[in-house]
Amino acid sequence: MGCDIITVSTDSEHVHLAWRKNEKELADVKYPMAADKTGETSRAFGVYDPASGRALRGTFIINPHGVLLNADISFYNLGRNIDELLRRFKASLYMARKTNEVCPSKWKDEGDATLKNPGAQMVGKVHEALEKK
Amino acid sequence: MTDFANGLRLGQKVPDLSLPTYDPVTDDFGTFSMATQIENKRWTVLFFYPGDFTFV
Repeated sequence: MGCDIITVSTDSEHVHLAWRKNEKELADVKYPMAADKTGETSRAFGVYDPASGRALRGTFIINPHGVLLNADISFYNLGRNIDELLRRFKASLYMARKTNEVCPSKWKDEGDATLKNPGAQMVGKVHEALEKK
Repeated sequence: MTDFANGLRLGQKVPDLSLPTYDPVTDDFGTFSMATQIENKRWTVLFFYPGDFTFV
């Protein structure tokens, strides 16, 4: 899909290797596992927890120009939904191509209703604009 | 990177970070760099998690 997924934690790359080779659940994992040992990157993204030296569950979508477009952070005890991540990633790709459209909350994939040129004329008329499709 | 001490905001350019990696595909250590991503015009998803040997 033209995207690189990088996993990041404050563990070292050596521990990443050991975990990847020991945990059978990770047998299919093909993503590079990055080591943020100083926590500097985790701090930059606002996910560093100084109390534990660990990174919270943050997911960040960055475009090919290096601009941060999407951020999602959960506390330790809540796992992430991969379908929602995919939805946001697909929407980011779509809107990068169709810069005059926006993807509303129910947008899931190409072909779903979008809002075109949202401007003054759409104020109070979003329902009608979505119905048209 | 101290400019981002309070966290990057949406729409900001990510600083030129560079991190050592373990790459399961090559079974070798490597480097992830934002500069390389931009040079190669690649989308990037950074997926932070608390620690190895826990659930992700």
